Amino acid sequence: MPLTDLDRSLYEWQLDVPGFGESGQEKLRSSTALISRAGGLGGPLAFSLAAAGIGKLVIAHAGDLRLDDLNRQILMRHDDVGKPRAESLAATLRAFNPQVEVEVIPENITEANAAELVAKADIVFGAAPLFEERFLMNRECVRQGKPLIDCAMFSLEGQILPIVPGQTPCLACLYPEIPEHWKRRFPVIGAVSALAANIGAMEGIKLLAGFGEVSLNRMIYFDTATMRFQQIQVQRNPDCAVCQHVSL
Amino acid sequence: MMPLMGQVNFSYTGQLAAAAGVAEVVLDFSDDAVPLRRVLDELASRHGSKWGELIFDDAGQVRSTLLVIFDGAQVSGDKEDLTLDGVKSVMLMTPIAGG
Ligand SMILES: [Zn+2]
Repeated sequence: MPLTDLDRSLYEWQLDVPGFGESGQEKLRSSTALISRAGGLGGPLAFSLAAAGIGKLVIAHAGDLRLDDLNRQILMRHDDVGKPRAESLAATLRAFNPQVEVEVIPENITEANAAELVAKADIVFGAAPLFEERFLMNRECVRQGKPLIDCAMFSLEGQILPIVPGQTPCLACLYPEIPEHWKRRFPVIGAVSALAANIGAMEGIKLLAGFGEVSLNRMIYFDTATMRFQQIQVQRNPDCAVCQHVSL
Repeated sequence: MMPLMGQVNFSYTGQLAAAAGVAEVVLDFSDDAVPLRRVLDELASRHGSKWGELIFDDAGQVRSTLLVIFDGAQVSGDKEDLTLDGVKSVMLMTPIAGG
């Protein structure tokens, strides 16, 4: 569907980005993104995708906002403490860009809902704190041939891994089992989660709109303690239990 | 920092850096083809048991979830059999998630 006058006004500044243009905007507007968890990563991810004019956001998150979420969950408000986080995020997004459809799923990713949720989306953003959820998303994205942008953070560091099934390693290629020492609670500063989220958002926008160079087969790693940014070449595992039989 | 001849720069990310208390060490080797496993054992005794637990599993093997990066590229294959032949930098990464 061609852009409307409102679209042209709203997105005027980005329509001038080389390689993006009206065709990129149209592709973005006809796309749906699933974001697993409305946290320090998922919030800024959703915000930047909404700002860019994605067609629809599906946000999956169970649970209410806590006071100690607010150092990094910058789309929430102090008054939202004790209220469902995904609903608060959706309200902010709808007020920010009413053009974007926002669907709230008040559940985290589980074995029971993963296939159905991934099927709703053209692209998935992994922003969950637990590997059990990330692995489920990874498996479903590989099964359904959907790109997954896995975003992660710890302390002052971030990692972003764009996954295109059959073309790049999947999450299980890198980590064949649940990491034993990863804990739900970890140190982080909000600017770091927003940075990781925005790098992930940009990779997703490029993938959907078909411009620029997506960091395929290269995990993006940054450390804000030293401001070291690096792309690490990663490889498919020929014995990967999830993606070994997938080819393009 | 840039390693000199014979030096290998080891850097740690995430929980490994937190456990070691440093994000980087530079080691000197006179031998070219030093087994990675031997260096990991030495580093584990230097950095303490918490660091060692992130690197080795209960059976004493290098964890399947440890990413080993030689000169900017992930190394595949059996991590027990790797050598540092010509390698200038080794990055050890443990998985992180966040949310
Ligand atoms: Zn795989």
